[in-house]
Amino acid sequence: MKRKVLLSLASVLLVALFGWVWLERVALQAFPDIISAYTAKEYCSCRYVMQQPADYCRGYVKQSVPVRDFFEAVEARRVTVSGLGRSHSARWIGERQGCRLEP
Amino acid sequence: MSRRWLLLPLLLLTLTARAEDWPSEQWPTGPTTTGPALEALEQYAFTQRDESTREGIRTDALLVIQDGRLVYERYAGPTTAQTPHLTWSISKSLLATIFGVAYGERLFALDDPAAKYYPPLQRHPDMTLADLFHWTSGLDWQEDYEYAPLNSSVVAMLYTRGRHDMAAFAAAHESFNPPGQVFRYSSGDSNLLAAALKTIVGPARYADYPWTSLFEPLGIRHATWETDASGTLVGSSYAYLTAQDLARVGLLMQRDGRWGDRQLVPKDWIAFNREPFAGFQAGQDEAVPGGHWWLNRSAGSTLRPWPDAPPDTFAALGHWGQALYIIPSARLVIVRYGDDRDGSYRHNELLKRAMAAFAGAVRP
Repeated sequence: MKRKVLLSLASVLLVALFGWVWLERVALQAFPDIISAYTAKEYCSCRYVMQQPADYCRGYVKQSVPVRDFFEAVEARRVTVSGLGRSHSARWIGERQGCRLEP
Repeated sequence: MSRRWLLLPLLLLTLTARAEDWPSEQWPTGPTTTGPALEALEQYAFTQRDESTREGIRTDALLVIQDGRLVYERYAGPTTAQTPHLTWSISKSLLATIFGVAYGERLFALDDPAAKYYPPLQRHPDMTLADLFHWTSGLDWQEDYEYAPLNSSVVAMLYTRGRHDMAAFAAAHESFNPPGQVFRYSSGDSNLLAAALKTIVGPARYADYPWTSLFEPLGIRHATWETDASGTLVGSSYAYLTAQDLARVGLLMQRDGRWGDRQLVPKDWIAFNREPFAGFQAGQDEAVPGGHWWLNRSAGSTLRPWPDAPPDTFAALGHWGQALYIIPSARLVIVRYGDDRDGSYRHNELLKRAMAAFAGAVRP
């Protein structure tokens, strides 16, 4: 009896979870992109717009979610960051337009 | 006759002494302030920084202009007088000031429908430009940075789903209320304005308009304003200026839109910026919204947001403690850049101590 109650409770929770995932599917799909995109964009601007040292900028963009890879092409003023299975790059465009995430 | 000749230089001297100070390439400097009131201000603003925990009040720059003269300037961390610092949402108020120049060119009216200049808003024909300036578009926007990243409209706009065309992303939000009634702070509203400006000034002038309309006339030489992939200014977030240059915008606002002999922004535009949105209810935000600027006005029967600062104080405010305060009655402009990550910084405390140090009194 107890097992039956637990099972039905678990299935209700599972259905609720699937429902929530369905409702939030667009946001959930984009969610893993946040950390690498944020880090690439704000690091690029920290380095090439605010002209701060690399080690400072690494600390400046640090969030609780870690990034896996970090690559800065200094010559091209381009930063590529990956984390949570996604990868994004930001590039410095010019003095007025600063940095932008690449498509 | 000879006596008159003696009087003339004296008269000229008096006139010069009474003339206003304005920055040219450099800010003119005023008398240096010292003493316990200034020490109290510095103790509040500049504490020991810990780059690993990032806790507490972390001021990057503090700069005070009084009567058009630089009377105090100090930098900390990696920021210097040459650093074009990220202003975050101060950008919104800068955008409003750029709109002010276009307003002076009579290129639009505040009660024009926003869709007239940004067709994707045709689903919301009653939404006016004034509504967007008041953050009362009625669009169901979620303004949250780090704390609710999943449903944050602003995070999605800046970094993921919205980043290619931020205004289109904002325009695609459903309404939660008819426009013009309910205040809800929204970076989306600001970027809808940034997109509307493209039509208002014309695509040929748009890319350079912040510079030609505002930065160059003010003598600002090194400003950056990032755009999205569609070329729209990220009016909500991404303007970068040195502290000294941001103070130039402050002085323009303090002097009602006038820069030297030129009325760069019409007075009635500044009046709109400084007029509280009538439908604002106490507690909806940390200060009272005007036309894309923040006001130290009481809403209903509550205290003013910054009770220790004069009631005419108004400000442009940004994430992580960025602030441009203008106190016309004390003829003060204060720029405060920061990197506050824990929300412990208080505008009122800084303003109280700055008033004590530079205006000589703490006003009620």
